[in-house]
Amino acid sequence: MSRRDADDRGGARSAGLARDVAGRLAGKSGRALWRSLDELAGEPRVLEMLRNEFPGLPDLAEARVGRRRILELMGASFALAGLSGCGGGEAPDEAIPYVVAPPGVVPGVARHFATAVTRGGYADGVIVTHQMGRPVQVEGNPEHPASLGALDPIIQASILDLYDPDRSRTVLKAGRIAGADALVKALSDRAAALAARGGEGLRILSGTVTSPTLAGQIGALRQRFPALQWHRWEADGRDTLRAGAMLAFGRPVDSVLHLDQARVILAVESDILDGAPGHLRYARDFARRRRAAEEGDVGGMSRLYAVESVPTLAGARADHRFALRPHEVEAVVRALAATLGAGPAEWRQGAPGRMATAVDAMARDLAANRGAVLVHAGPAQPAATHALVHAINAALGAPGRTVTYIEPVEAEPVDHGESLDRLAADMIGGRVDTLLVLGCNPVFTAPADLDFAAALAAVPVSVHLGTAVDETAMHCTWHVPEAHEFERWGDARAFDGTVTILQPQVKPLWGGWSPHELLAVLGGETRPDGHAIVRAAWARRFDGSGGGTDEADGRRWADAVRSGVVPDSAAAEAAVSVAPGLAGRLPPASVGPEGGAPTALFRPDPWLRDGRYANLGWLQELPRPFTTLTWDNAVLMAPATAARLGLANEDVVAVTAAMTGAAGSVEAPVWTVPGHAEDCITLPFGFGRKVAGRVGRGVGFDAFRLRTSDHPWELPGVELRRTGKIRRLAVTQHHQMIDSPDLVRHATLDEFRRNPTFAKRPEPEQSLYPAYEYPRNAWAMAINLDSCIGCNACTAACQAENNIAVVGKEEVLRNRQMHWIRIDTWYESGTEGGAAGRGEPEQTLFQPMTCMHCENAPCEVVCPVGATMHDTDGLNVMVYNRCVGTRFCSNNCPYKVRRFNYFNYSEDDSRLSLSWNPDVSVRPRGVMEKCTYCIQRIREARIAADRENRPIRDGEVKTACQQACPAEAIVFGDANDPDSAVSRRQASPLDYGVLTELNTRPRTSYQARLRNPNPEIAEGRDDASHS
Amino acid sequence: MPGVFSPAANIATKLVLYALLAGLVTLAGGAWFFPNTTYATRQGIAVPQPVPFSHDHHVSGLGLDCRYCHSAVEVSANAGLPPTHTCMTCHSQIWTNAEILAPVRRSLADGEPIRWNRVNTLPDYVFFNHSIHVAKGVGCTTCHGPVDTMPLTWKGASLRMSWCLDCHRNPAPNLRPREEVFDTDWRRTAATPTGETLMARYHIHPESLTDCSVCHR
Repeated sequence: MSRRDADDRGGARSAGLARDVAGRLAGKSGRALWRSLDELAGEPRVLEMLRNEFPGLPDLAEARVGRRRILELMGASFALAGLSGCGGGEAPDEAIPYVVAPPGVVPGVARHFATAVTRGGYADGVIVTHQMGRPVQVEGNPEHPASLGALDPIIQASILDLYDPDRSRTVLKAGRIAGADALVKALSDRAAALAARGGEGLRILSGTVTSPTLAGQIGALRQRFPALQWHRWEADGRDTLRAGAMLAFGRPVDSVLHLDQARVILAVESDILDGAPGHLRYARDFARRRRAAEEGDVGGMSRLYAVESVPTLAGARADHRFALRPHEVEAVVRALAATLGAGPAEWRQGAPGRMATAVDAMARDLAANRGAVLVHAGPAQPAATHALVHAINAALGAPGRTVTYIEPVEAEPVDHGESLDRLAADMIGGRVDTLLVLGCNPVFTAPADLDFAAALAAVPVSVHLGTAVDETAMHCTWHVPEAHEFERWGDARAFDGTVTILQPQVKPLWGGWSPHELLAVLGGETRPDGHAIVRAAWARRFDGSGGGTDEADGRRWADAVRSGVVPDSAAAEAAVSVAPGLAGRLPPASVGPEGGAPTALFRPDPWLRDGRYANLGWLQELPRPFTTLTWDNAVLMAPATAARLGLANEDVVAVTAAMTGAAGSVEAPVWTVPGHAEDCITLPFGFGRKVAGRVGRGVGFDAFRLRTSDHPWELPGVELRRTGKIRRLAVTQHHQMIDSPDLVRHATLDEFRRNPTFAKRPEPEQSLYPAYEYPRNAWAMAINLDSCIGCNACTAACQAENNIAVVGKEEVLRNRQMHWIRIDTWYESGTEGGAAGRGEPEQTLFQPMTCMHCENAPCEVVCPVGATMHDTDGLNVMVYNRCVGTRFCSNNCPYKVRRFNYFNYSEDDSRLSLSWNPDVSVRPRGVMEKCTYCIQRIREARIAADRENRPIRDGEVKTACQQACPAEAIVFGDANDPDSAVSRRQASPLDYGVLTELNTRPRTSYQARLRNPNPEIAEGRDDASHS
Repeated sequence: MPGVFSPAANIATKLVLYALLAGLVTLAGGAWFFPNTTYATRQGIAVPQPVPFSHDHHVSGLGLDCRYCHSAVEVSANAGLPPTHTCMTCHSQIWTNAEILAPVRRSLADGEPIRWNRVNTLPDYVFFNHSIHVAKGVGCTTCHGPVDTMPLTWKGASLRMSWCLDCHRNPAPNLRPREEVFDTDWRRTAATPTGETLMARYHIHPESLTDCSVCHR
């Protein structure tokens, strides 16, 4: 089927599709594993993807190039090829040494410096690798409590952000270059005038601030400007958590979770594995507990329940997941609270009827594990749910065991929504005369009803500090280029309050300002020094804590900067208890929407968050979990909802807020997500930037236009109207599919007890080729599917480490994304009851797929030029300079993990050339590439070991994906060493190889996933997900 | 009817055909041998430099150790070129007014590095590491030639892949005791351990030295 036919199909197809699937599965019984409904229904387009390595190729033949023209081109290329042999040797390069060598810099030897990357104000500790003084790679800081050495894609991309050529470079006044001196003068004059009237009309707007120094500076400014007001706005902020704590405890507190202590966990659309502050730590604790069964402690494995409307990573990992409409989620939480004695008994009736068994079973399970249970709700849940979560946790003895309450990490915590409302009202009312916007973009992210752009027009002087010119910069009188976090001094706190001192990794590339420096100008300084400000603040703090001498203070400072952690700086525990009479303080339970209009749910895009990362190509092209969507956002909904509304994937709909009468309408394509709750749609925000760099501008649609202050997360009664247009979405789910139903293997804990080797299959042993011997090392990788949470950190880390190019939407549509690791998403459901036909998965499984480094590699034998070779350690190596681009290897690879440079992607990339990793070749057009097991890291360790005449130690080589993985799902090492971590993993009874029936003898193996279902629910699970 | 061509035309035709064949053979041979010529490899051809630095004078004459200037050679992939500051440790005291050292003084004064012309250069897809070669007993002069006698530096070896592989397949003849690596006058004597002994001592295993990934990644 050509692309044109695919585009022409009508929306009515979707309803038909659901019937097709139901019909196709009607006669079958048992379980079905599938990647999409299209695959289940046997769509010809998908089948072509399944069978062909290069499915788009026949389309190119339509380009109508005549035989004669092809001969001409071939002749010309042949003749011109000879020219490249001319010329006398290579032109002499220049070698340019230092004038005075900086201390400690040895050309060719990497150096590492600790700092932190903040997201939404919260810090994750990182170690930045430098080559000859320039930062080239970001890794987690193992000493930092929020990172423990792991990373997520957003932190990984911070290095790309640093080198973003679209960052702003000069101070602008009304859009014209003004220069720093003019700004200092204007701001100083303004400050003097403001000080004269006590700071009346002076406002500061920032995102969440955890920096003690910044908060201290604002505190000090209040002495000069007593009327100064500090507003906060974070579009994907955590207002509901704060409000929930206020309801339950009467004051704001933060929760720190201990998933390693939890035997039973209930996640209420929780972001513990997606993006919550501390999610990397939580993922590690959770995964360790899940591996208990495999490591011998069968009873030690935790059990996870999830109730949610929009699929989350925690939901995908859940043993029981219930997709419920938003009001049903709240009702279930209330029913649970009532059952567990944390609410009035009549709440028990509120839960939807089909959940009755499940609620009772969950309640019994939770009660039976008192003290080892944990309930957590995500930021999109209403405050009442959060308050009830606190009450349930208290009733089950969780505080002090699985959850600790700490003093808020945010400085001077406020309700962001209310704070911004008040600011907007004051701006329109003419009560704001000078506004400082510190690193946030309210014109784009503020609720649509505030019309922040219009409000800004009423402010005489507005100063925007930002790393790039964005929507807010366009509406402010001044724009000041902000120094990247890798270019300035600062400090920030992690989820548990631990402070990291941010140290600059490089001098500002384009002369940026830190927020500390901008505030210092307001405080009367004319030549502010960011280092002096932060250093002085910490000198006072260290004195306060230790009262030490200058020398002791200097040592503490140096230690804190070096290690990336200020010792003993975690937030103090807060002694709180749920105030009695909680039920009376809660708003009435929300009821379902009336009529058939669906409810819209606003959620941040997992990578772009509130849109601030829109200009990062790595994040735009990284497939989103569940949808595998790149370069776009879409209206997400359950397949059944799409069928009911007569919509199909890629149909463009106009979404209007019908009931609330909010202005605005957005046009957006539809994408169906198995496991999404019915009768509601998700509008991911963060896309649709109007003023951004060359990568992020105009990508996707802007869901903020429908979001209002009254409905930040949930907008009932939206209207979807088909426009008749089709928008092709670059979804990678059908790319590089393997035609085998036996790739992901899983079992329940009971099945594992009965048959521990359920994942093993008989393997062929004979081969026509003589077997290789591996006398030295035999590098191998083990990927634990039970630990994998599908977060894509490995893919992002691999892209950063290995100079993998970004190709753009057009090329992704052609199946040409270059990621060396892809995360295959699998759904599993029973065929009885038609759950699969309705697109309701019971399980979501993630499988990272990358080069298997086969011992009998099918690619090696077909390469005509010896560009892909077997080396002594069993690595399947690519020799880029030999590759002539026949693509035979890719065609012969059963795992479909090879990637081809159809164009000069790397050279066409706009990123600065100094940002590439110098240890890895940048591949030109016409060259095949694939996972190398991070050969550059192996060689580095090899050389270090050989220099000292010793073998490579276990753990000395860590691949980039392994290092980034928060869940420790990936282990790499020497299979020849029986004590190595990888050998121990591969000795697990759950260990299996993929497609081993082909006798490829893959070096990468998987450990099957285990589920720990509650036997009381297992029987009725088809009923439970029925709606 | 008389022939169009005279019998002599046969000879002419043959001559032309033989000439064509000979031409082709010459071309093919040329294409085969040309890259090995010193014209193509620049081996043995002194490269002009902004300052006519003489290794002959500094090494043979004054006895400077290689590592005084190429200080990273034992720990890094790069041997390292000396910063201007290193030159000035001596030349701030001696030859302070020499005309040929003017660019060095200017470099330090202006903070502008001296732009040397590279003598030994490798393609970007080759990842060569000095430190491991030094650690395994490959002397500086083994690859760089008699640097201590070069008034202006030239390339000591072709640096072609076949030249690399010759040694990676059979390192023994090119090894010397680790402590003699920087000795530019070193000669193998009867007392020198054999190459095979050194290979065993330094754990050198040629069977893995020809893996593509040793140099290409």
